[in-house]
Amino acid sequence: MAEKIIGTDIAPQDLVAKITGRAKYAEDFRADGMVFAKLLLSPMPHARVRGVDATRALAMPGVIDILRADEVRQIEGRPGEASLTDEPLYEGQPILAVAAETEEQAAAAIEAIEVDFEPLPFVLDPLDSLRPNGPNAYTGGNRFGGGEFSELKWTEADFEEIEAGRMPNGEAAVEWTKGDIDAAFSESDLVLEESIVHQSLTHHPMEPRSAMMYWENGKLHAFVSTQSAQRTKYAIAGTLNIDPEDVILVAEYCGGGFGSKISGNTHMEVPAVFSRKIGRPVMLRITRYEENYIGRARPGFQSWLKMGFLADGTCNAIDLYIVQESGPFGASDFNTAGMIADLVYTPQNMRFRGIAMYTNTPPKAAQRGPGGAQIVIMMEPILEKAARQLGLDRLEVHLKNAPDPDVGFGPRNSTLTSVHAKEALEKGAEIFDWAGKQELSGRVEGSKSTGIGIGLSPYTAGSRGYDGLMVIRPDGKLYVHQGLGNLGTHSIMDTARPAAEILNLNWDQVELVWGDSSRGMPRSSVQAGSQTTHAHSRANHAAGMDARAKVLEVAAQTLGGSPSNYDMDNGRVFRRGGGASMTFAQVAERAIELGGKYDGHELPDNIHATTVPAANMLAGQGLMGVARDNYGGSGGVYSWVAGFALVELDRETGVVDIKEYVAVTDCGTVLHPRSLEAQVLGGSVQGIGQAMTQRWVFDPKWGVPFANRLYTARPPGILDVPLDMKADALGIPDPQTPVGAKGIGEPPVGAGGAALTSAVADAMGGHCLCRTPLTPDIILAELEGLSQPFTLEQHIG
Amino acid sequence: MAIIRDMIPAFELFQPTTVEDALALMAEHGEAGWVLAGGLDSYDWFKDRIKRPEAVIDLGGIDELNGISDGQDGLEIGAMTTLTEIVRHERVRSEYMLLADAAEHVATPQIRNQGTLGGNISQDTRCWYYRSGWACYRAGGNTCYAAAPQAMNREHAITGTSRCVAVNPSDTAPALVALDAKMTVRGRRSSSVYDAEDFFIGPATDITRMTILEAGDLLTQIDIPSEWANAHFYYEKVRDRGSWDFQLVSVAAAFKTSGNTIEDARIAVNGIAPFPVRLDAVERLVIGAAVDEALAVEAGEIAIDGSRPLKHNEYKQPMTSNLVRRAVRSVA
Amino acid sequence: MGRWLDVELNPWGQEVLQGVSLELMYLAILLAVLFVVGHMLWYRSRGFSEHEETVDVQESVAGIPERIVRHTLPSRIFHWTMGASMLVLLITAFVPLLGLEFAWVTIHWIAGAVLILTIIYHVIHSIVWQDFWSMMSMGAKDVREAVGHFRHLLSSKSPEPEKPGKYPFDHRMYHQGIVVVSLAAIVTGVLMTLRIKTPFWEPNAYYPFVDQAVAGMNEMGEPVISLMPGAATGLVFVIHGIAGVALIIMVAAHIYFAIRPDKRYYLWGMIRGWIDREQYLAHFDPDKWSVVDGSIQESPPGGAIADSTVSAPRADD
Repeated sequence: MAEKIIGTDIAPQDLVAKITGRAKYAEDFRADGMVFAKLLLSPMPHARVRGVDATRALAMPGVIDILRADEVRQIEGRPGEASLTDEPLYEGQPILAVAAETEEQAAAAIEAIEVDFEPLPFVLDPLDSLRPNGPNAYTGGNRFGGGEFSELKWTEADFEEIEAGRMPNGEAAVEWTKGDIDAAFSESDLVLEESIVHQSLTHHPMEPRSAMMYWENGKLHAFVSTQSAQRTKYAIAGTLNIDPEDVILVAEYCGGGFGSKISGNTHMEVPAVFSRKIGRPVMLRITRYEENYIGRARPGFQSWLKMGFLADGTCNAIDLYIVQESGPFGASDFNTAGMIADLVYTPQNMRFRGIAMYTNTPPKAAQRGPGGAQIVIMMEPILEKAARQLGLDRLEVHLKNAPDPDVGFGPRNSTLTSVHAKEALEKGAEIFDWAGKQELSGRVEGSKSTGIGIGLSPYTAGSRGYDGLMVIRPDGKLYVHQGLGNLGTHSIMDTARPAAEILNLNWDQVELVWGDSSRGMPRSSVQAGSQTTHAHSRANHAAGMDARAKVLEVAAQTLGGSPSNYDMDNGRVFRRGGGASMTFAQVAERAIELGGKYDGHELPDNIHATTVPAANMLAGQGLMGVARDNYGGSGGVYSWVAGFALVELDRETGVVDIKEYVAVTDCGTVLHPRSLEAQVLGGSVQGIGQAMTQRWVFDPKWGVPFANRLYTARPPGILDVPLDMKADALGIPDPQTPVGAKGIGEPPVGAGGAALTSAVADAMGGHCLCRTPLTPDIILAELEGLSQPFTLEQHIG
Repeated sequence: MAIIRDMIPAFELFQPTTVEDALALMAEHGEAGWVLAGGLDSYDWFKDRIKRPEAVIDLGGIDELNGISDGQDGLEIGAMTTLTEIVRHERVRSEYMLLADAAEHVATPQIRNQGTLGGNISQDTRCWYYRSGWACYRAGGNTCYAAAPQAMNREHAITGTSRCVAVNPSDTAPALVALDAKMTVRGRRSSSVYDAEDFFIGPATDITRMTILEAGDLLTQIDIPSEWANAHFYYEKVRDRGSWDFQLVSVAAAFKTSGNTIEDARIAVNGIAPFPVRLDAVERLVIGAAVDEALAVEAGEIAIDGSRPLKHNEYKQPMTSNLVRRAVRSVA
Repeated sequence: MGRWLDVELNPWGQEVLQGVSLELMYLAILLAVLFVVGHMLWYRSRGFSEHEETVDVQESVAGIPERIVRHTLPSRIFHWTMGASMLVLLITAFVPLLGLEFAWVTIHWIAGAVLILTIIYHVIHSIVWQDFWSMMSMGAKDVREAVGHFRHLLSSKSPEPEKPGKYPFDHRMYHQGIVVVSLAAIVTGVLMTLRIKTPFWEPNAYYPFVDQAVAGMNEMGEPVISLMPGAATGLVFVIHGIAGVALIIMVAAHIYFAIRPDKRYYLWGMIRGWIDREQYLAHFDPDKWSVVDGSIQESPPGGAIADSTVSAPRADD
């Protein structure tokens, strides 16, 4: 009997390479004649390049050429990002690139270039852009719609509110309602209203988005850092407007992305185009400093929230208004935030209004739990306050409001495949000993006060309809071809497990093929939105089933009888009840002999067009399992994390010490417990950093950010969290997916962050600071009764 | 000229093995030379291409600058002794825990393995305007961007400012002031010993330097006199996160006590001024006094006399008060 | 600009003026020394007297008092206070640059404040109590006197120059020059002081210049971006610096002439308030500076001014 693979701890295949440093990341690659490119970044948040004088630079030793904005794809007439630009929209946006024999020479050449910039009006804070006569991020306006720029401004009266620290209900761009909020609020026993600011924060993956590229025989060889792989190949081809089969993508490892490297990224175009121009391989090593600018950030929110509660703790109405700091190219977090608010607190009566404002700050993009993480981090202290004022237990309030499996949420009353939020809350409460810790809540000893908090965080965790592709080769092993990226979540390995189990193989009989498009990648989801565990456990399940059927058929055709007479285990297919058998090696050879569908010369009609070239490449190499995920299903796939935190707040310093943290997830069947724990706790730590430490700071006069370094941006470190954080999973399979597994990447962020904002509010006696991050300065100023030096500003420090 | 960061320009590296050779190299290269200790401040500057020395004089190979030994009076610590060594040193821990405690609050284990005591106290400020290469007063320009009314200055100074409002970032500096350490500074022709307190200078004296060290000067040794050995110590550092972070405010205090009466005291605070601030007034208040909460509170209040916050750092006043209060309270 | 003016990059990487260079300070010191030494040597080489010349008092003493008031006490207090503040300003400005470090900023701006107060006092005093316009204005006669004086300096064959009135042409030229240079230094200095912390205001790196990234509002009330923020600040520093180095030379020259033995009577006049009859007759033209009685003897621009006569002890008393 082959070993059990799903649900066991198996060290990932790339572990040794990673910890011994043998793993090659994008910047580790070299090619003959390779040169280095460096970027010249805009020193101004909004400007126009009037002229460039590179004469001196081009005459410097080793300098090969310069690449300007007019040589790369430009997006005209609408907000859109080009890899190089003559109208930078944020400080740090790349203007041009220089290639030289060495990186030092390229850097020196950049310094020798004179760029004549004409500064243009800029805006950092969305509220400034909404101010009557306030600056716009674009020369054409601060809004884009219907093919043109326009202006949206609030009134002077709105800004009188803002000066007083209250968000006004200015004109919104997006609005949806359900139920009747006015009626509901009038029935509420408690109505709370707060203005809340959530900061913007950079993704800061450990590996910056370096890329090396060269052209050979008309094909682009691209060595990149990306979350996805197969989809990245197509993204690069799209940007360059070339045949995707002319892109050979190598992306074996990715040192983190958190949503900032989903498929391709804008600046991959630079080495591609530059290499084509100069006929040599070009390495663009992105530094930490550059990554901070071009590496994306989570949008910040300035929002107004009104929540109504009945005496029993039922949240019966939510009125939510979000102004989003969207950077120059936009983001859609705020829309998701509205949906998640409805999903977590199920008010039945809700109004969501929002407006995304362009700003001249580095570009925004999805960051782990985009929109969802922000909103639960912002709302959880309000729930704490409500429970306190209603004299109820917060867990009870949460349980009362957490959705049941039949939930419908958002403007279109969306449904979900499975929901076990309440069970997650209950299990978490049990592990954390929520009941026993009630007495610690608010306890003051010396200068320390204790707070406990809950964060309940859902997020999308799956998608459907992708393809699986695998080959049993004549060496008897199953080669699972993955088109996913390998960004450290192990999903590239773990989603192959269903195929191994279907074929009754031991894990050492499975080889994973990934990271190099020349080895064949099936149509895959992007490695984002926590989709892959769900999407590709299904796709590989489907392809595994296809391979299994073919193995049985090959056995029956070779050894006689019908396929149903056969079974398989440990790399052998055998007649049930004893008798003839074949090894998988023999099956593979036989499949090649048989040809047709068995070795991939005939492909199913329903597989995606972009799987076909990969399957064709592999045809004839063994027995091919190839199939589309046709399992179907209805409703969104969401996973949940319930986080519980106990903190000690030092009332004399404002320092918050996290003493305990527990997270329990509802993410369906657990594929890989150790990896799941890493995801749940890692995401929670990221959320804790979001709530407590990480920030972005801009000088308002110059539009220049300061938290450009890890030590100034302050993502959390190991000493910021308790060493014995606990994670657990419900392990209740999702009924609509054959393996039962849902994704987990995103929801822990909101859970970790919200447990913290909630616990801090508790430690402060039910006082919501209503701003993140909750750094000691802000907490202490509040405790000492100082006036905070800000009202609703987005970027402070 | 376009600006580019994160790429160290070439320099000539010198690795002398004696102090004399180092001093000779420093004299030879003058302003174009740069003295490298652990490199944690230096490489940041180089990487950003803001400081661009032609010659880097690496002190790492000078044995005489390394190590902790028993002196005639107390401990003698070579300037290149790593912070880890200080943290682990038995006698430092048993007699001068204040220093070990302060050193252990520096950044991360990796940085403490590489960072030196001399480097830690000689490091430049982390004012982000200055570190961004802006031509501020400290960089030889004529503006303090951090003091402007809208400026981002939560981490800046509330006292001791003069045009420049940057703070000293060192964790060990206040401990050395509290321990009344003596700094041996060698020039080519002379050698001087400074009290720790005088080693750090403010912008009123020279806006471009944090310490008494001028070009050509080398901090070689830090002596910890036995005077304060085994005193009652208190060290606390408040920072935004638990590691790899500079202080918002830190306090280092040494008390000689008899029962709960303070017989002598030295208290220093860092993070509130361009230099570690010795709290003479607080010391005068507490010396000879029996410690009770009222004394601690008063000490905290006196500690911030004359301070004036910027827009975003008013919290540093109560934070300083509270830390000083806790230091005094710790005696009881 | 290169050598004499420093430039810096503003936070947007644009080159803007930063101030005058150290070299310019050294140049000014060098010029001051060269001037003093050169003047000394040249004066000696021309064989001019190194001592104060005297005249025979019997010549004509009718109505001329023995002591002639040159500067009243208020004038002298003003002069010395102003001089002291100017010296403090120069010392605090330049000595730290030469390497002697001390906390100079506070002393500097306080001395600047004192200077401003003394100047306000001086202006009011001279307008209300002195004949301001006669001191300030200059006419053809003054030029003639100056030209004669200058010729005599250059050539020994040139006739002895006319004697001056109370305030010789060169003194008034100096005064006018120092007014211009000091006002430049003061105006820019006040602007600079607004950028530092004083008991009176919070420091502001941008105030009061329209010198920040967002330069202000246009007529529509929309923000207008500054094309080169920091440039005005740099200009202010350059003007202050040029005025400062100019003052090094002017003050050095002033002190030099004040202590020259052949002009000692001026120094005495400023210390004691009066010069004696002999000095008066030897160095001044009584027609231009009449001290005979209380009336002003001659219309400007002769230099006779009110305070010298009003308060002079009358010979016929």
